[in-house]
Amino acid sequence: MLEVKQVSKIYEGKIAYKALDHINLSIEEGEFVGIMGPSGSGKTTLLNMIATIDEPTTGVILINGENPHLLKKEELAKFRRRELGFVFQDFNLLHTLTVEENIVLPLTLDGKKVQEMKQKAQEIAEKLGITPIMNKRTVEISGGQAQRAAVARAMIHVPKMLLADEPTGNLDSKSSKDVMEMLESINKNERTTMLLVTHDPQAASYCNRVIFIRDGRFYSEIHRGDNRQAFFQKIIDTLSLLGGDGHDLSQIRV
Amino acid sequence: MTFRRFAFNNVVRNKRLYAAYFLSSLFTVMVFFTFAIFAFHPVLAGSEMNKAVQRGMNISAGIIYVFSFFFILYSMSSFLNTRKKEFGSLMILGMSVRQIRLMVFLENMVIGFFATAGGILLGLIFSKGILLIGENVLVMDGALNFYIPIQAILVTFVSFMLLFFFISLFVSYVLRSRKLIDLIKGNKKSKGEPKANLFLTVLAVLLIGIGYAAAFIVKGTLVIVAMLPVIVVVILGTYLLFTQLSVYLIRRLKKNDNIFWRKTNMILLSDLSFRMKDNARTFFMVAIVSTVAFSAIGTLFGFQTFLTAGLKNNNPYTFSYTAVKQNEQDVAVINETIREEKMKANHEQTTLRYYEIGQDSIVISRESDFNRFAKLLGEDPIDIQNGQVKVVEFTGNQFGQTDELLEQSIKLNTGVTLRPKEVISSRALPATDSYYVVSDQDFEELPASKREESYHAWQVTDGKENIVEASKKIAEMVSPGEFYAKDYSIYQLNKQYGLVLFVGLFIGIVFFVSAGSFLYFRLYADLEEDKQKFRSIAKIGLTEKELKKVLTRQTAILFFTPILVALIHGAVALTSLSHLFFYDLTKVSIAVLGVFLLIQIVYFAIVRFFYTKQVRSVL
Repeated sequence: MLEVKQVSKIYEGKIAYKALDHINLSIEEGEFVGIMGPSGSGKTTLLNMIATIDEPTTGVILINGENPHLLKKEELAKFRRRELGFVFQDFNLLHTLTVEENIVLPLTLDGKKVQEMKQKAQEIAEKLGITPIMNKRTVEISGGQAQRAAVARAMIHVPKMLLADEPTGNLDSKSSKDVMEMLESINKNERTTMLLVTHDPQAASYCNRVIFIRDGRFYSEIHRGDNRQAFFQKIIDTLSLLGGDGHDLSQIRV
Repeated sequence: MTFRRFAFNNVVRNKRLYAAYFLSSLFTVMVFFTFAIFAFHPVLAGSEMNKAVQRGMNISAGIIYVFSFFFILYSMSSFLNTRKKEFGSLMILGMSVRQIRLMVFLENMVIGFFATAGGILLGLIFSKGILLIGENVLVMDGALNFYIPIQAILVTFVSFMLLFFFISLFVSYVLRSRKLIDLIKGNKKSKGEPKANLFLTVLAVLLIGIGYAAAFIVKGTLVIVAMLPVIVVVILGTYLLFTQLSVYLIRRLKKNDNIFWRKTNMILLSDLSFRMKDNARTFFMVAIVSTVAFSAIGTLFGFQTFLTAGLKNNNPYTFSYTAVKQNEQDVAVINETIREEKMKANHEQTTLRYYEIGQDSIVISRESDFNRFAKLLGEDPIDIQNGQVKVVEFTGNQFGQTDELLEQSIKLNTGVTLRPKEVISSRALPATDSYYVVSDQDFEELPASKREESYHAWQVTDGKENIVEASKKIAEMVSPGEFYAKDYSIYQLNKQYGLVLFVGLFIGIVFFVSAGSFLYFRLYADLEEDKQKFRSIAKIGLTEKELKKVLTRQTAILFFTPILVALIHGAVALTSLSHLFFYDLTKVSIAVLGVFLLIQIVYFAIVRFFYTKQVRSVL
């Protein structure tokens, strides 16, 4: 599904800064993978490159065997809205639109029929339990609801892969749990491949596998067994080994 | 770092943020200053005629000053609105309201000072350019030369420093009542979607409809009576048009899913409806200001073409000489001057005989006389049988008594009575009223005339470039009132009118360009929000083509909605004006409105290019 080969990213500037250093990563179809690491470790840079928002300095990223970075800008935009789904920390909903309109936006841009869009929006809203708020404006709903609406928007066009950047970063623990359980069930039921970048060990414990990176390099990788609680403990342990004390204390701020 | 230092650094190190506000202030100063240069021009301070012009200039300067005040105030308040969050942060850090007011005051004075100084400098350069254009386009004989306008500099500097001082006071006073929480949430807080009132929406349509209808129906001097109420009604209607009707229409569009959910329409329309509250006010101002500009320029140009066209039509010959008692010397002088100036001219002369017909004295001309003049003019000769009489109406002149003449008859000495049947249109003989033409034979049988006039006409065929010079010479030597030179009259008209026209044109351009700046400012107030929004959408996947499409439409709506309304208003105003003069202004109107539309299109293209570039830079 996803193949990251020897990817490095160097930010040019007065002092060149190496954000990522020869990262390798491979994700199978239907997997739910988390990426963790301290601030400045390069997690978001990695995700942005997979999301085709950013380009690697060296190395290759293949999605379904093809390299999206070779596409032209126009096609790249279309690739993003057809093949990928995004969930952001700050939800990224447009406040001038209602929840329903936000959800159908990717389809609208593709010029789908209104009837089809309505139907799809209804289906996904029911699945995610946000039907009652469909006609509300984004300023009128809570953070948890907003993030679920954002997930609905990311899922409406049935993407091959869902990329989430700190989806629980702005949420309270109850909403975090709801959103993560929702992502988990989507992953199970729809077999959508998911890649999650997070600070939150609780959120990471919903993944099948968690990859740790530090200072732009691969650090370690742990797999989840049957027990989520035990997996959570393992994540905490790895994080403390990583240099944090279970929480995310920043070492470098960029 | 003292507090003053902080305020200073805040401006100097944050140039981009202040640039838009600074530039529009600078621009306003420049406009006023360029205007002041003309108002204080030594040439204009001279003669009687120019005194009137100067008075007009002073009043206009006053209008521009008031307009500048509101423009800068508007720019300032929208500029402060984008900085709410910054004020919030400063207040959290412990800055008192008094200090914030002081900071804004100081900032504004710094900006004001540089804008005034810069505006004067730019204005000096700009006015040189304008004067060059003025000299070449309008007949002004280099009367307005460039000078170092010390008085204008002083007046501009003092009045604008005062203006900025009062605006600074005023704005820092406005900031007073804001709550901290509102300031911090300032940028995020939704302005809410404006709602339209159905009654007011209908009223908008009605008011404009009534105003237009009145403007079209009313004719003649009634136009002046109807002018004020029509203007009030239309202005009111325009305000409602933008605040109510536009909101209503957009809401209707949004409710229709087939339109609203079609591709990029969703992004475009939702923004439009949210910004409508801000846009409506700008649109209204721009539409009214542009209408004023169109109408003013249209009127001035229309009036000039009206006057020149009248002159040209009523005086078909290059030179004419009319005298009750012919002075041979005068005619000789004219012929001599024509020769001196190396011109060739065809010359005809006749005696115009006036007869008592009804209650008026009317000219009766001989067929052969008439035909000689018709030939001089290049018109077709006419053929009149004995016993026949024709009424001649001066082409384009509606005030002749043609109908009256048709009912009268002429008694000849032979006892025969001639009754006119036919009316022809010609410019051969001079026009005051319509007149009769009879055959040569019948002419001999006319009773004694009431009075006679000698009439000469010259049509220059060669050496036309010397006409104005020759006319000047002749006019000095021939008794006044008897000699008339068409081209010289037009030349003098243009010369006198040139200044007025120039001033009018200048004010019109100032208003129009200011209107453009209003729009530019409105657009850039939303730039940050747009950047953020398009960044969000681009992550989901928005192609450059789609981005360009949305931005183009957004800018086009902003630039062309108010101008379109103004163009229609202007067209109606000019139509009404042509009803006042009974003169067709269509050509002039189309030319004036067309030029403005063209300028607006160019303006739009430039702004769109830079705006798109700005938004794309963050993707």
